[in-house]
Amino acid sequence: MRLSDLCLAWALCATPVAAGDLTIVSWGGAYEAAQRQAIIDPFEAETGLEIDVTVYDGSWAALAERGPAEGWDLIDMLADQARVACARGLLLRLDPGALFSSEALADFTPVQPDRCSVPQNAYARVMAFDDRAFAGIKPTRIEDFFDTARFPGPRAIQRSPDGILEWALLAEGVPPEQVYGLLSTDRGLRLAFRKLDTIRDDIVWWDDPAEPAEMLRDGRAVMAAGFNGRFFDVAQNGRVPIDIVWDGRIIGIEVWAIAAATDALDAARDFIIHATEAASMARFAARIPYGPTRRSAFDRIGLNPDTGVPMRAYLPNAPQHGGRALVQDSSWYANTEEQRQRRFHAWLDAAE
Amino acid sequence: MATDPNTDTVPLLWRVLVLTGIALVVGSAASLAAVALVELVTLLNTGLLVAPKARVQWESLPWLVAMTTILVPTLGGLIVGLVHRHLSPVGRPLGPPDVIEAVQFHKPLPGLRSGLISTGTAALSLGAGASVGQYGPMVYLGAIFGGFARHLRLGVPNLASIAIGCGVAAAISTAFNAPIAGVLFAHEVVLRHYATRAFAPVTVASVTGYVFANVIFERTALFRIEAPGIAHGYEFALVAALGILVAAGAIVFMRLLLAVGPSLARWVKRPELRTALAGLAVGLTALALPDVLGIGTSTLRFATIDGAFGPGEVVVLIIAKIVLTALCIGAGFSGGAFSPALLIGSLIGVFFWTVASGVAAVPTSGAAIYAISGMMGFASAVIGAPLTCILIVFELTRNYDVTIAAMVAVVFSNLVSHRAFGRSLFDVQLARRGIDFSLGRDHAHLAALRVVDYLQSDALTATADDAPEEVADRLLGQGWREAFVLDRDGRLLGVFTPGPHDDVDRVGSGIVPARLVFHDTTDLAEAMERLRGFVGDAVPVVSETDGKFLGAVTEADLVAAWLDEAARLRREENASV
Repeated sequence: MRLSDLCLAWALCATPVAAGDLTIVSWGGAYEAAQRQAIIDPFEAETGLEIDVTVYDGSWAALAERGPAEGWDLIDMLADQARVACARGLLLRLDPGALFSSEALADFTPVQPDRCSVPQNAYARVMAFDDRAFAGIKPTRIEDFFDTARFPGPRAIQRSPDGILEWALLAEGVPPEQVYGLLSTDRGLRLAFRKLDTIRDDIVWWDDPAEPAEMLRDGRAVMAAGFNGRFFDVAQNGRVPIDIVWDGRIIGIEVWAIAAATDALDAARDFIIHATEAASMARFAARIPYGPTRRSAFDRIGLNPDTGVPMRAYLPNAPQHGGRALVQDSSWYANTEEQRQRRFHAWLDAAE
Repeated sequence: MATDPNTDTVPLLWRVLVLTGIALVVGSAASLAAVALVELVTLLNTGLLVAPKARVQWESLPWLVAMTTILVPTLGGLIVGLVHRHLSPVGRPLGPPDVIEAVQFHKPLPGLRSGLISTGTAALSLGAGASVGQYGPMVYLGAIFGGFARHLRLGVPNLASIAIGCGVAAAISTAFNAPIAGVLFAHEVVLRHYATRAFAPVTVASVTGYVFANVIFERTALFRIEAPGIAHGYEFALVAALGILVAAGAIVFMRLLLAVGPSLARWVKRPELRTALAGLAVGLTALALPDVLGIGTSTLRFATIDGAFGPGEVVVLIIAKIVLTALCIGAGFSGGAFSPALLIGSLIGVFFWTVASGVAAVPTSGAAIYAISGMMGFASAVIGAPLTCILIVFELTRNYDVTIAAMVAVVFSNLVSHRAFGRSLFDVQLARRGIDFSLGRDHAHLAALRVVDYLQSDALTATADDAPEEVADRLLGQGWREAFVLDRDGRLLGVFTPGPHDDVDRVGSGIVPARLVFHDTTDLAEAMERLRGFVGDAVPVVSETDGKFLGAVTEADLVAAWLDEAARLRREENASV
């Protein structure tokens, strides 16, 4: 007993040697850079703690494999992955009521902190098009994505059932609140794939999220399904005439979660509180077009400090966007992954 | 009647305040309760794996989904049956007919305990996936809150009926996000008049329900339709034909629904086994056809999408849904017929569209128009509320063309079903309880009054052996011209009139049969009809069971009762505030 206690104490003392005070796991690239400037650096300055940032592929499996060995404390995750990780005991249970006041909890949108995670930003799957391809009337609705008569040309779509099935039903006139309910039925999936059939010959598939914007730039596609941040980046920094259609945007949520094996619980909790303040969210959203998950943060978002672009117009969950919006149902996503993949690949195979 | 409830005894301003207050309180309470009921059902549907969205998430365990599909409705039925049998004083689910009866005859609703149990079993029935609707229970729930006004002594005539109308309107308004339809439903189906005294508070309650649903809870409508307009003029003729088709379907549905209950009761004696069996039937059918489970919100949506169903598939689904709904309601599940009617009607509309556009190759504006027209045509035949159904379409689609198409289907459907079946399922159910609205509200009210309540206590009786002179003297003393001659057991033998029979030695040889005899079951409406051409003092009333003489009613008393009732109705129907 004594010996094991000693070992544990030694292990606890030894871990920080391998890293800084706090190890944050995130996505790298422009995203991580924005996170550093908006959230991590101010936190370090405020607390004097030293923070290491590690990059991972976003899956809960990576957390299970690498997390304990590398001393991960805080993980930036997709909401559905966090749900799975939480169910598997990889994440620490949080008490949102202890972290936030009831006013702060009510300020969160579109979802509130749950037992393992705190929402930090919102991204969206959106439809974008090459402005040069449509000289006259531009696409404005999800229906236009499936209308190859009015808007001919190749469409770039992820080789995955994610997002495109929702769009297929939206294009059939299903209201957003019923989309996941209908996709849960065999008939709903049949109808979605029937809609996909109508553009089957015009689809170019992508696997890497960077591709759709490149495809629009190179003229390999005239319309594309992809993530709003990527389209924004290519359009702004690459000076490519890409426009985003906000109708039918599928909003996904990024969350902060604490690894169950953390050795810096207090610092991790302090970081989450700091990172999910309205001011932090606003600083982040001013640098990269991922929207805040608190209502009060929208009022603070102004120009991008580097480019001077007014960022509010590019945030997926900005209140001024019209059209239909769907909030990705993360538990449904987590629990239907296998079935959707199976049906999707059956449909792909039927084509070939 | 000790006090006339129509008499205005309190100042105008007070009446206005009372009516507004009642409308706001009852409207808010009914609306919140309707929201709670919907939420509870959604929760149960998710937890019990009835909702497709819940079922698909357990798809990796197919045996679990199959087990719950069979067991949940069966056990749900067993519990509903047991609860009704052992805990509910009335022993059955309550619904719109009970509300109509209470409002029309100013009677209290069946007890609060029965009402709450009926609401609870409705939540369980709907939650467990039985093929029943939620609007019937919602109407009743709204009425419960209105019914509390009965205990208030605020001096406003007919307050309880108006308050019940408020509750009903708020519940419908909340459920459909359709405040205008809520107002019309309360008047068309429940109150059956449009007095300002009722119309104003009912409107306030309905709008309160709308505010709760839309502004405070930001709930989306249970069924949102975005339909295109009508592309071709001839489609109105198609929709009229569809109206007649859905009327036929509705008549089959209602007849089956009314027939299943009694015949099932003959076959299965224990009520809880009847509901369990109906649940089992739903579960087994759902293994192959999951669309039949519950209120079928997803199926209703699919109906508006072109080609979501194959023609064979839609026919099977229509038949399954008609049979299972009739079975579930007939067996005693707690729930209404309106939601299933919406679903069956829209499927018939889809079938019609498939045949018209697919087989006959007629260009049309798409399945949605026919699904909506069929849905409302069918539903209006069932609930007997054409205006409400037209307004629901208008409020859900906000589309003028679609509303006009649906209106055509609704009137043609009502034309046929009213003629061949009756005004509505509710009215036919009430008629089976002896309350007949088929000739209008006033007739039903007159028919609810019994002549036996207007007996003259001093009607003169005699026996066959009495001396004519003695009877004539007694008649003269009381101012009557006729005596009712009874046998030893008190049964009526006939009428004796002194004068032309001076030659007879005993009354028995001078009696003539009574020209008109009423029974203790004879109602005022029937009596007034039969009094046509009657001349005489009074009409004898005898017991229908044993023929015993009960007394006599004078024509003047009956006419006075008729005038009183007609005046009461007129005041109720024309009351300002």
